[in-house]
Formats: sequence, structure tokens, C-alpha cells
Amino acid sequence: MAETLLSLRGVTKKFTEVEALTEIDLDIHSGEIVGLVGSNGAGKTTLLRLMAGVYSPTTGSVLLSSGRPVQEMRQELGVVPESTGLYSRLTAWENIRYHSRMHGVSDAVAWARTEKFAEHLDMSENLRRHTKGFSRGMKQKTALLRALAHGPNILLLDEPTAGLDITSARTVRALVRQLRNEGGTVIYSTHHLAEAQQVCDRIVIIHNGELRADGSPTELLEGTGTETLEDAYVSLTLDQARPRHEDNDKEGVLSSWWRRLFTPRTPKATMGESTDE
Amino acid sequence: MSDGSGRRVRAIAAKEIVEFARDWRTIMAIIVIPLLMFPLLFILFPVLLESEAAELDALEVAVIVQSDDFPENLHENLSFAGVVTLIEPLPNLTTLSDPAGDLERVRNSSVDAVLRFESNNQTWSYAILHLSTSERSNEARYRLLATLSEWEDSEVRQRISDGGLDVNETLDPLRWNGDIAQGDVATTGEQAGMVLSLFIPLVLAIWTYSSAIQPSIDMTAGERERGTLEALLCLPCTRLELLMGKWVAVATITGIGVVLQICGLLFAIGYLASSSFIGLPKLSLVSVGLIVLSILLFAVMVVAFELALAMRSHSVKEAGSILAPALMLILFPALFTQVINLDGIEGFWFAIPVVNILLALRELLMNRVITEHVLIWVMSSLLYASLAAYYASKQFSREDIVTSLS
Repeated sequence: MAETLLSLRGVTKKFTEVEALTEIDLDIHSGEIVGLVGSNGAGKTTLLRLMAGVYSPTTGSVLLSSGRPVQEMRQELGVVPESTGLYSRLTAWENIRYHSRMHGVSDAVAWARTEKFAEHLDMSENLRRHTKGFSRGMKQKTALLRALAHGPNILLLDEPTAGLDITSARTVRALVRQLRNEGGTVIYSTHHLAEAQQVCDRIVIIHNGELRADGSPTELLEGTGTETLEDAYVSLTLDQARPRHEDNDKEGVLSSWWRRLFTPRTPKATMGESTDE
Repeated sequence: MSDGSGRRVRAIAAKEIVEFARDWRTIMAIIVIPLLMFPLLFILFPVLLESEAAELDALEVAVIVQSDDFPENLHENLSFAGVVTLIEPLPNLTTLSDPAGDLERVRNSSVDAVLRFESNNQTWSYAILHLSTSERSNEARYRLLATLSEWEDSEVRQRISDGGLDVNETLDPLRWNGDIAQGDVATTGEQAGMVLSLFIPLVLAIWTYSSAIQPSIDMTAGERERGTLEALLCLPCTRLELLMGKWVAVATITGIGVVLQICGLLFAIGYLASSSFIGLPKLSLVSVGLIVLSILLFAVMVVAFELALAMRSHSVKEAGSILAPALMLILFPALFTQVINLDGIEGFWFAIPVVNILLALRELLMNRVITEHVLIWVMSSLLYASLAAYYASKQFSREDIVTSLS
């Protein structure tokens, strides 16, 4: 049995009005690629942020193998958020170096690791360039290099292939598989089932903040009695998906009132009513 | 602070400063403009004014003189002053200032001014019609008044002399004896301190606040809007380290801006005025130390406050619309502080936020170290700086800062 690197127990995350995640129990084992699959607003990003220590659970715990909360041991994690989070006035290498310095890794070590992975991602020539003119794919690859430069035990990727062209997406997926083959652990958020099936050893389906299924693709098919993962997903998420909410970012009373004051009412038309004058 | 913590704070601050310095617009706003603002204002502006004044001096103005008995010597004096006159008979008026039939020709600028002059035995009456919205007309009025005043002075002297009195004894019976400057027992250093104390605190307060706006927004709401903050929050640094790193960066950038602006201001004043007008204030080491402390406490408070407000905002636009009007919180106390009389000032003034530091700077620039005042402003400023830092740390600890509008 592989070592449990990250353990979530009874994790609930509530924002002001919404319960984003409900009673999540999940173990992440060493050397596996875990796919977090769910629709927009399902709670994938919230779950990733809890694993990254950006959010604290309202109830429950997110602990590393050492038994310590993830906030205290962030150097064990490498995170690629959906927005990539690169500074456009810094070069790719400066972006990477900034994060590796924050992790307490020397520039020499970070550079050696970066060079190694940059070759796989075909990014060696771009490390000295400012990221301002980078394509979405190049930004994603730079963010990936940045997350790997300090040698994390767990890599958290939030929709790493979103918006990438086919070639870039293939390169990213190939690197993720290579990392797994070298013993790395990757948590991979996506809303593409086919991608999850292609890349992940284990798929966790999140829907409306609840963990609906957790297992290998074969286990999911067996568990739901379906023939394709898509059918399995549909059978597990029959209830209507809730609308996406933006965390606990609540608008003030005055702001809300003022915005509504200058928002024209949507015209109401009844069935059969002609719109012609 | 542990080694690791110090290293992370330094890394954050260094990255912020490097990133900020790579934008040439920022360098213009923070470095070049503060350095050039006062020299341009104090040196170039007077040069422009001088050239405008020279242009006016060279101008000949046309004036209608309405008088039945206009003195010949006054006529000559007006001619020397560049006033071209046309004599007309004095119309029949109740008062000389009534524009009557001359209203239109002054208003439509066919003539620059009308001088009405009437002899009443031993005295004269006069009035000038002019158009205050016309530069030529104002110039004509100015020349008429100056010439009339000179002529009146000469008339007075003549009459005193004709009456058999000594003109100087009659007009100037009380005189200063000796060197006027010698009567001021304040040293030149103290005088310089007094002059500097009138504008250095004001410049310092306003520029510290205003030059911290842009970096504060860029490093908080800007990061939030661009989506770079989430990656930063995933790093092994505490929110307090993040705040401190950003504070150091904003304070450094602001500090450079303020120092450059004061250098520009001193250079401009030094260029314009004689060295006796603005020398170096003579300050004790204690005063210098306390000045540095007061600026530091003020910067801690202001920068922390701005970072907190900017971090609360969801976007650069929102942050700008909050921080710009908040300048009033500094501007009004700063202006008010300039008119407070420091002699016998009550202690409570030194406990009022913003006012306390500005008053302290005024006192210290005049080399006045009053223990009671120092204790009050140090304690109150420490309190306000701590409150601002606490408020900022609360804002940086919010979970929702990870979300961005984009």
C-alpha cells in the first residue's frame, strides 16, 4: 500500500451563504495521479485551495503525512492555479526563481531542475524571455516549471490544459505522466472526463460540493454499472448543478443597491405576445 | 523574525521593487516628476512670468483723459510710463466713477481706460474706468495709478517745502536706527528651520500618501486582478510576511520619491533665494533622530493603511476610487497644521492622528525638543501605526483575497 501523503477528513467549507464543500473524506497516496472531475462550480477549485492551504476548512482537517496541517508545510506542494499567476514584467526564469527562493531552494538547484523539465516542455529557449508576450500554453508551461523547481512531493494542477492548443495540452499531459513514472504525486483538476481517463489513475467526482465517487476508471464503471465514463458521470450527478458562486466575496449592501439602481429591468414578454409594432 | 522569515520578506520586497522599476511610467511618476516638479514650478514658472511681464512693459496703452484742467507735468509723466493719452473735456457727471457714455468704448476695448480728473481749488478728484477682464486695460489702470501716486507724492513734498517745513522730518519722524536684520536674535540656522518647517511637513505628508497610492494598488488589488495573488498565497510564507515584504517595497519606493521631491524643493528655493534666506537648519542630533523616527512612524501608518484599503478592493479601479479621495484625510490636517501656533501649544494636539507628526516635524525642524510633546506624539503615533498595521494584517488574512474579478 502506497504512503498517504495528504489526508482530508470530514472537510466542510462554508462561505458566507453557501456550503461549497460538504464532508469530504479523501486520501492522496504517493505516486498516483488523482483527477478531480466536476462541472463548473462543483467545488474543485475550493478543494484544491484547501489542499494548498490557501483556505482553511470550516470543519474537518487537511493533514500531510507528517500529521501537520498543510499550511505549515507548503514547501511540500507545487501549485499551478488556473490563472497561472505569472508576473509579466519578470522573465520566465525570474518568475520561477522568485517562487523557489520563497521555498528556500538555492538558485543553482532550482535552475538545474528547471533546465531538466524545460527540455521536456520545449521551453529552454524561453526561460530568459519576459512572460508578457507568452501564449497561454507558454504561460502554463512556465507555471508548471515554477511549481516543480523546488522539488515538491505533491503537485496540484487546476485545469492545467484549459485554453491550450492540442500540442501544448499533450506536452503537459506527457509531463504529468512522466512525473508519476518518476514517483511523483499529482492532483489534477479538470472538467474533461476523457482527459481524466487518459491521464489519471484515480478519478474523484465532485458535484455540488459533495464527493460522489472515488476510484479508478474501471471501478467507476463497475460501481455505476455503466459502459462509459460519461454515462457513469451522468448517473452520479443527476441532480441539477448549482450555479457557480464566487467564494465568500459578498457584495456590500450599498454597492448592491447602487448597482441595481442603474440596472434596467429586463423586459417581460408573455407567450404569444407579438413583439412587432 | 527567523532567518527564513527575513529571507522571504526580502525576496518579496526585492521582487516587487524590480517589477515596479521595470515600468518606465512608474519611474517617471515616482522619480522624475518629484525631482523636477518644484524646480520647474519655482524656476521655469517665474521665467515665464517675467517674459510675460516684459511683454506687458513694452506695451503702449491708450487712455482717454477727461479733464478741463489737466496738469502738464502729469501729462508728461504719463507719456514716460508708456501711456498714450487723448485729452477730452470732462463730461457733466454726478460722480466721476459713473461710466455714463464711456461704458461701451471701454467694454469694446476701443480704448484701454478712461481717466477722469477734476481740479477743486487745492485738491483734485479722479476716477479710472477700466475693464478688469482685459489684460491691456488692467495694465493701463496699473500705470495710471502708479503715475498718479508718484505725482501726488511730489505734490505733497512740494507743499511741505512751500510751507517752510523739512520734507524728510515731516514725512518720516520715526526712524529705525541700525541694521534691521541685527534686531532678530534668532540664528540663521533657526530661521532656516522656521522656513523649512512651513512646507517640509506638508510636502512630506502629501507626497508620502500620494506616491504610495500607485505601488500599494499595484501590489495588492493589481495582483488580485491579474490573478497572481493565488500562486503567491500557495507559497510557504505567512500573510504577515507577505504584508511586510510589500510594505518594505512600497515604503522604499515612496521614500525615494519623497526624498527626491524634497531635494528638488530645496534646490529650487536655493536657486531662487539668497543663501541667507534658506540655509541649513541647525539641528541637534536628538532632533535629527526624532525627525527620522517621526517620518518612519508616519510611513508605517500611511503605507499600512493604504495597503489595507487596496487589499480590501476587488480591482485596481475600485482601489483607486477609494485611495484617491482618502487623500483628504491627510490633506486637511496637513493644511490645518500649518496655521497652528506652536508657541504655548497644548499637548493634546500631539495626540491627533496625522496632525501629531506634522506638528512634531515643525517643532523639530526649529530644533525645539519638548519632552512632553515628544512623549505624546511618539506614544500616539506608535498606537496609530500599530492599529494601521493590525488593520492591514487583518485584510491580508482574509480568505477572499484569493478571488479576482477576472
